[in-house]
Amino acid sequence: MSIILISSDRYETGRAIAQKVAEATEYAFVDREILGEVARNSHIPEPKIRNSLETSSSPLSFSSKVENRALANVQAAVMSRLLDNNVVCHGLAAHLYVLGVSHVLKIRVLSNGDEWASQIASERKVGLEKARKIIKKQETAGRRWSLDIFRRDETDPSEYDMVISLSQIEPDEAVKTIAETVSYRKFQPMTYSIKCLKDKELSIRVRLALMEKYPDVNVTAEGSTVVVRTKALKREKRKKAENIRALASKIPGVDYVEVHVVSNIFRQAAESA
Amino acid sequence: MAIITISRGSYSKGKEVAEKVASRLGYKCISREVLLDASEHFHIPEIRLVRAIHDAPSILERFSRNRQAFISYIQCALIRYAKEDNVVYHGLAGHLILKGIPHVLKVRVIADLADRVQAEMEREKISKTEARTLLLKDDEERRKWTQTLYGADPRDSSLYDLVVHIHKLTIEDAVDIICDTAIREPFKTTKQAQQKIEDYAMASEMKAALSDSFDNIGVKSEYGNILVYAKGNDHHIQRIRKKAKEIANKMEGVNDLEVHATQKLPPKSV
Repeated sequence: MSIILISSDRYETGRAIAQKVAEATEYAFVDREILGEVARNSHIPEPKIRNSLETSSSPLSFSSKVENRALANVQAAVMSRLLDNNVVCHGLAAHLYVLGVSHVLKIRVLSNGDEWASQIASERKVGLEKARKIIKKQETAGRRWSLDIFRRDETDPSEYDMVISLSQIEPDEAVKTIAETVSYRKFQPMTYSIKCLKDKELSIRVRLALMEKYPDVNVTAEGSTVVVRTKALKREKRKKAENIRALASKIPGVDYVEVHVVSNIFRQAAESA
Repeated sequence: MAIITISRGSYSKGKEVAEKVASRLGYKCISREVLLDASEHFHIPEIRLVRAIHDAPSILERFSRNRQAFISYIQCALIRYAKEDNVVYHGLAGHLILKGIPHVLKVRVIADLADRVQAEMEREKISKTEARTLLLKDDEERRKWTQTLYGADPRDSSLYDLVVHIHKLTIEDAVDIICDTAIREPFKTTKQAQQKIEDYAMASEMKAALSDSFDNIGVKSEYGNILVYAKGNDHHIQRIRKKAKEIANKMEGVNDLEVHATQKLPPKSV
């Protein structure tokens, strides 16, 4: 009755391990298969959603808004599946936004660097040294992406409960270790940890509903109470708060909406200049 | 039947984990013993070895023969322990010194900075700010040290087989995970693995003995045949050859000795 989040330096490695862990634990498996459904619900083309999970564009560009919407839709879809419990989720950046839930086991799996470099070298007809540089470049890009979007470094081991390198450890051994670790008592869901997960899921749903009109909102939830924080000009404060309250109240599971609007001092200064 | 290295930061519970792993598996647990052994064997005060292995070297020190020699002594002492097998080492740079030995399980134990600060505050009776500053400084020293000597960042997870985060996972959980992994196939001491570590021990002994008089030396060994690589002119190589012969005569199990002049030291040499 737990959740396992698996991240990897290489998509294929992480997926293979996550699938085997799902088989060993008889948990449901969640991966990029859900992106088709996300694309249909959000009306964002699937390749764009895939792209938003890999690269980040400039925060001021038009595509950045689409990326944010795509990622918010992915988050909402992942969170709704995690609520079912007994899930192994690979990638989808879940390790970067499912935070503070005690029954979630977070694992990072590192590929066998030598094998990976040899594979790249033979596929792209380059030397091993060049292949290693390509891997390093990919790692740097992944790190930059996670910092840009979630302000978290996905290569930092303290983001995980455990990091397993497959250089010496066989994939099947890694699967055994993960399956054994998740059976520890602390990864069993408790009333409080389930509540934390539900609150997180609700806040993501509310943010998704608001972000089309108000992309800068910050949402937290506790039970059925939702707190929305945003910025506005002094004269727009009341109207913005009312609109947000009206939109958020319609979302299933929301009973009370609290809106905190602070003055947007930069816009105010720009307008008064 | 394995060798386990546990890398850790200050107050990250790595020491406790190492001691419990050793006790559970019936292995020898070593850390300071390596320094004491090196100090006794090479007649160097322990404090000088501690400084060499703990403080980040200044620009001038990076190339100082003393520092390089001290590192060779420590390396030699650690490999001598590792050769005996069934060892848990939780001192500095074990994972880098024993890199390339197949049956070494390389583990890093990490803890959240907040938990480490709390532990240091309680033990040293200092303020939160002081504790935090000290820990960050210590981490930075270790990072610079490994970066300078081995071109690696100790925070890089790919240097280890396992990184265990003590937060949700407890010390006991970490011990369970490490012990379960250590008894698995890849970490069993095979005949080839034992041969490799014996070759490594021989090479490191030669390197440590040569470090007294020469720097920028690389040594390899295969089945008792020692290969010494050094940069320099013919006269310099002759001096090294003479000294290496003297050392080899005192060592057990040496079949052959070759000394080669080279522009670049072989990457897998000690």
